[in-house]
Amino acid sequence: MMNEIVLEVKNLKTHFISNKGTAKAVDGIDFVLRKGETLGIVGESGCGKSMTSLSILRLIPSPPGKFVDGEVLLNGKDLVKMSNEELRKIRGNQISMIFQEPMTSLNPVIPVGEQIAEALRLHQGLSRKQAWDKSVEMIRLVGIPSPEKRAKQEPFQLSGGMRQRIMIAMALACTPEVLIADEPTTALDVTIQAQILEIMKDLQRKIGMGIIFITHDLGVVAEMCDQVGVMYAGQIVEHRDAKDIFNNPLHPYTQGLIGSLPKLYEDQEELQIIEGTVPSPYDYPEGCRFAERCPFSTDICVQKEPSLIQYGDNAKVRCWKYTNEWQDSLAKEVLKS
Amino acid sequence: MSKDLIEKKPLLQVIDLKQYFVLKKEAMFQTKQVVKAVDGINFDLYPGETLSIVGESGCGKSTTGRSILRLDEPTEGDVLFKGQSLPKMSKRELRNVRGNIQVIFQDPYASLNPRRTIRQMLDEAMAIQKVLPPNKREARMLELMQHVGLRPEYLERYPHEFSGGQRQRIGIARALAVNPEIIICDEAVSALDVSIRAQILNLLKKLQKEFDLTFLFISHDLSVVRHISDRVMVMYLGKVVEISDKSSLFDKPLHPYTKALLSAIPVTDQTKRGERIILKGDVPSPLSPPVGCRFHTRCPFATDLCRQKEPVLVELEKNHSVACHFAKELSS
Repeated sequence: MMNEIVLEVKNLKTHFISNKGTAKAVDGIDFVLRKGETLGIVGESGCGKSMTSLSILRLIPSPPGKFVDGEVLLNGKDLVKMSNEELRKIRGNQISMIFQEPMTSLNPVIPVGEQIAEALRLHQGLSRKQAWDKSVEMIRLVGIPSPEKRAKQEPFQLSGGMRQRIMIAMALACTPEVLIADEPTTALDVTIQAQILEIMKDLQRKIGMGIIFITHDLGVVAEMCDQVGVMYAGQIVEHRDAKDIFNNPLHPYTQGLIGSLPKLYEDQEELQIIEGTVPSPYDYPEGCRFAERCPFSTDICVQKEPSLIQYGDNAKVRCWKYTNEWQDSLAKEVLKS
Repeated sequence: MSKDLIEKKPLLQVIDLKQYFVLKKEAMFQTKQVVKAVDGINFDLYPGETLSIVGESGCGKSTTGRSILRLDEPTEGDVLFKGQSLPKMSKRELRNVRGNIQVIFQDPYASLNPRRTIRQMLDEAMAIQKVLPPNKREARMLELMQHVGLRPEYLERYPHEFSGGQRQRIGIARALAVNPEIIICDEAVSALDVSIRAQILNLLKKLQKEFDLTFLFISHDLSVVRHISDRVMVMYLGKVVEISDKSSLFDKPLHPYTKALLSAIPVTDQTKRGERIILKGDVPSPLSPPVGCRFHTRCPFATDLCRQKEPVLVELEKNHSVACHFAKELSS
């Protein structure tokens, strides 16, 4: 899939400043998203995956949030440097977003069809009638039966799965180039999740948008994504083709994460675990942020922070283990003992 | 495993259990609306086993757990613990039995008193159930903390000082404090991150071996269920649709709903998954469940028979029962 790049994020840093100090929620994120491609961002609670997505659209409240550094290039234009006016034209039009809980992002007292139509009138300058018709069409497209009737209903009259479909219809109404989906199926049951994922894939084929798919569920990554970035403590620690990461994870954290999943198709006596807990974002260690929990940690891991290095043709990993320095460090340790 | 189970006597028997909830009227002349959350289910729980109840939201799995403990008073049916009927017991008798049947909930923070230290909580649990005289409780508390992997000095701390995984360990310690025989785990690991979830699952398995515990494990997550269970019961809209040994259920599901549920789970190994069955539509409202088979509105194989007659649970293979008119035909 050698398509053109639609979104490029360079060294994105968002910190939060409070009386406890500075929390480095997003601390140097780089990635590119191509047309028609899905990039998964996966990690556990607090790793900064949602903050990354909010930072891209500049939706972080400031204060306490603080944009520290980086560029977000949409077709080469930097969103960071844009005025609020310019940005408003892009949000919901060229880049849209869907969230985990549709009920909190829908207006509870306005019919859902009206809410979709509003975006169309605002961004595409359609008339009331045209916008309504397109809105009904979008509701049909996401597989809701009797869309004319449903468009007139208010969010509480719809089920959770249907509300999430409405969110997708709304996000895609203006045929965006980038869709950011932040845990869109986490609150749904698996059979409904399967429906929603299928619709997203189908619409991606039709519209050709790039998707940034934020999730904690590695299974969903395997279903949906072409590329995957694994986040830990505000940074991407491994960036891979999705098809490779599960067979051959490189970063010890990724290995631990995959090992700790119970398998659906085989029996295991005991699950692999990752010892310890995530370091506090207020006080990241000097060296590798995973070193404390890592079974391969040596002196260099504790002393110096690793960078995201190229590994082979298609992989990047933030780990000393794949460098000569680590080999030397290990050798020294062996000698000492 | 299951062969030994049949020879054992069940520890807990659930007989035709029904749990209805009457909704408040919204208009004066509205007819009474009844949610049939659990609508006539039967199963046995054998000593030392883990039986899982799986299903999607609203299927009645959590309600089943609550009715067994009489956290909600069951509408009809019986629950026998070692032959004694729980619904017929007085409050006092019930309190004694509850020491034998403990429960761990999904959100440990909501089930721990924020103004009590861990020591106070454990002490209170032991005092109410009269498991140990006060002078022996200290030693027992230290032992419990060690069993669940918490440092002894944590006894003096309050719940807000702990992480999610640690709080779940506290919940487990409190359940263990009264020497229960059965622990009902109601979505006990659902709110945890995968790496923490693995720690808690390993802990539950270890404790089960050490203390000979019996688990009723309620969960929506089938891969977790596969890991922890001996037997699995699948529920849909208040009914049991399939109950079986774990291996038989995962290798050869018989009910179309179980098949769809299994195939809908996103898995990391895409080569292992068979053809995906995507169910149409949503789960119908439990206020007006479909007549006949409750799954017929979403079932790809539904016929007129399914729309009219409710299927009963029959043992199609050894230790593998299913409630579907066409299970036999569909499995061959």
